[in-house]
Amino acid sequence: MLLRAYVRDRSALFFTFFLPFLFMIIFGFLNFGSLGRVDVGIVDEAGNPDSERFVQSLAQIPSLRIERVARDAMARKLQRSELDLAIVIPADFRIRPLAAPAAIQLYENQATTQEVAVGRAIIGDVIDRISFAAAGSAPVITVSRQEVSGVRLRYVDFLVPGILGLNVMQLNIFSIAFALVAQKQRGVLRRIFATPLDPRRFVAAHGLMRLILSMVQVGILLVVAFLLFQVQVVGNIFALFAVALIGAVPFLMQGFALAGWAETENQVPPVANLLTLPQFFLSGVFFSKEAAPALIRPISDLLPLTLLNDALREISTQGATLWDVRSQLLGLVVWAVVSFAVAVRLLRFETP
Amino acid sequence: MSAIVSVRDLRKSYGAIEAVRGISFDVEAGEVFGLLGPNGAGKTTTVEILEGLRRADSGTVTVAGIDVTRDPRGVKDRIGVQLQASAFPLHLTSREVVELFAICYERRVDAQALLATVDLADRTGQWNEKLSGGQRQRLSIATALVNEPRVLFLDEPTTGLDPQARRNLWDLVRRIREGGTTVLLTTHYMDEAEVLCDRVAIMDAGRILSLDSPRALIEALLRRGFSKPVIHQSASLEDVFLDLTGHEMRED
Repeated sequence: MLLRAYVRDRSALFFTFFLPFLFMIIFGFLNFGSLGRVDVGIVDEAGNPDSERFVQSLAQIPSLRIERVARDAMARKLQRSELDLAIVIPADFRIRPLAAPAAIQLYENQATTQEVAVGRAIIGDVIDRISFAAAGSAPVITVSRQEVSGVRLRYVDFLVPGILGLNVMQLNIFSIAFALVAQKQRGVLRRIFATPLDPRRFVAAHGLMRLILSMVQVGILLVVAFLLFQVQVVGNIFALFAVALIGAVPFLMQGFALAGWAETENQVPPVANLLTLPQFFLSGVFFSKEAAPALIRPISDLLPLTLLNDALREISTQGATLWDVRSQLLGLVVWAVVSFAVAVRLLRFETP
Repeated sequence: MSAIVSVRDLRKSYGAIEAVRGISFDVEAGEVFGLLGPNGAGKTTTVEILEGLRRADSGTVTVAGIDVTRDPRGVKDRIGVQLQASAFPLHLTSREVVELFAICYERRVDAQALLATVDLADRTGQWNEKLSGGQRQRLSIATALVNEPRVLFLDEPTTGLDPQARRNLWDLVRRIREGGTTVLLTTHYMDEAEVLCDRVAIMDAGRILSLDSPRALIEALLRRGFSKPVIHQSASLEDVFLDLTGHEMRED
C-alpha cells in the first residue's frame, strides 16, 4: 500500500529513477577517463644516483603521473588498469656513455593503448635527451617491451558502481526522511498511531519498501548500463545486489534518524545534504577517491559510501567475491549498527 | 445504561500551563456525548488522553473496560478516532485508505460497503487528497469505523465545513449512534451540541462547568430567571442560506 502511494508520487519517481540515468548519461558521455595523464609505475631496483636521475627526468614531464611501486604490486596494478605503463629499472642500472647501454624493461597495458602510446613516446624522448647529454648520440639506455593484458576499464565501467552506490545512499536517506517528516507534519503519523499498529512494524514496512526499491533501482541502472554503455560486470551480479542491499541499511537508518530529528520538511534537505554531499565528492562516485587530498583520505576511506563503492567496484570491475570485500561489508555493518542506535534514540512517535 | 467511558479527577499540564484541571465524567453506552467549550478549554487534550495518545498526569480513565494508562494499545483496538488536523498518506484512493487502516487493525473489511455507509460509495477510486472537506471528514470517520469500535471519538468533526456538509455529518453521527456505537464528540458549536448530543459537558479553562442534557441545561438557565430579548423570528440566516442553496450535499 505504501509502495503504491510512493509509485504514484511522480516527483519522487523522477528523483529515484530518472536522475540517476541523467548522472550516468552525462558523466558516461563526458568520459572523464580519457582526459588526463599517463599513469606510470616505476620499480627502481637499482636505487642509485643514475636511476634516481632517470626517474627525476620522467617526473618532470607534466603529462606523466609517476608512482613508485613494488615489483609484485606492479603486475596487479597493471592488470587492474590502475597503471598504463610500468618501468622496471634493474639493479645493475648505470648510465655510462661508453659502456654497454643499460637495459630497462617496459610493461605496457594492452587495455589502455592510447595512454601507452603517449607514454612510450615520452619515455623514448626522455631517454634520447639523457643519451644526448651523456654521450652525444648513442643511446645509453635500451628498452625492452612487454605487453600485459589489463582489464579494459573504461570510465563508464568505473562510473557505474559509483552511481549505484550513490543512488543507494540518496534513495534511502532522502526518501525515508522526506516521507516520514511530511507524514509527521501533515498529521498522518498521529492518525496511524491512534490505531493499535505497533510503531516498529510501521517503521519496518517503510524500511523494507525502501530496500526493495533500492534493489529495483540497482537492477534498472544495471540494465541501462548494459544497454547504453555495454558496461561489463566482471564479478558475480548477485554479489553486486547483495552488497548494495547491505550497503543500503546504514543509509536507511540514517534516514530514519533524520526523520526522527526533523520537525518540518524544511529541516530535512540541509542535514541530508550535510550527510550526503561530502560523500558525493569524497567517496569515489565520479572520480577516484585517490583524487582527494591525502590529509582527508583516512576519513574518506571510512565513509559508508566509500566502503560501499569500493566493494561494488571491486566486484564489478575486478571480479572480487563477497569474501574479498568482507572488510568493506564489515565496515558497512558497523555503520548500520551505529546509525540504528542513533535512529532508535531520535525516532519518537509518542506525544508527551 | 452503564458507563462505557469513565473519567475521574483527570489532570494534565504542559509545563506551567494546566490544560485539564481535575475533571470527572461518565459517558453512558449508546449515547452521543458532547464536550463543549471554546478553543483552548482542554477538550482536545482530554479526548487525546482518552484515546491513549497522551499520558495523563494523574487521575483514572477507563474506556470500554480498559484502563487507558495501563494499556493504551488495548484501548486503541476498541475505539475509533477522528483527530483534529490529521491527514492520510498522499496518493491513495479512499478505498485504499480504508484498506490501509484495516491493516493497522489487523482486520479484513469490506471497504466498498464501509464507504457506502459514509456516503462515499461513488468516491472509492478518488485520491483522498482530492476529496472536499466534508468528504474527507466522512472518509476519516470511515477509517474510524473499520474496527467496529465500541466508542467513536470525533474531535471537532464539523469545524470548517459548510452548512450542508455539517448537516450531512450530523445525519451520519445519528446513524452511527443508531447502530449502537457510543459517540464522544467535541465541538465549539452550540447548535451542533444542541441537536446532536444526548448530554453535554461544558468545559472552560480545563474544568467542567456543567454536565447534563442540552434541554435540561437550558431549562435550568430559564428557571434561574434568564430571559433573552424575545425576537419573534422563527427562522435564522442559516435557514435562509439552506433554503436558497438546498439541503443536499455539494460534491465539490
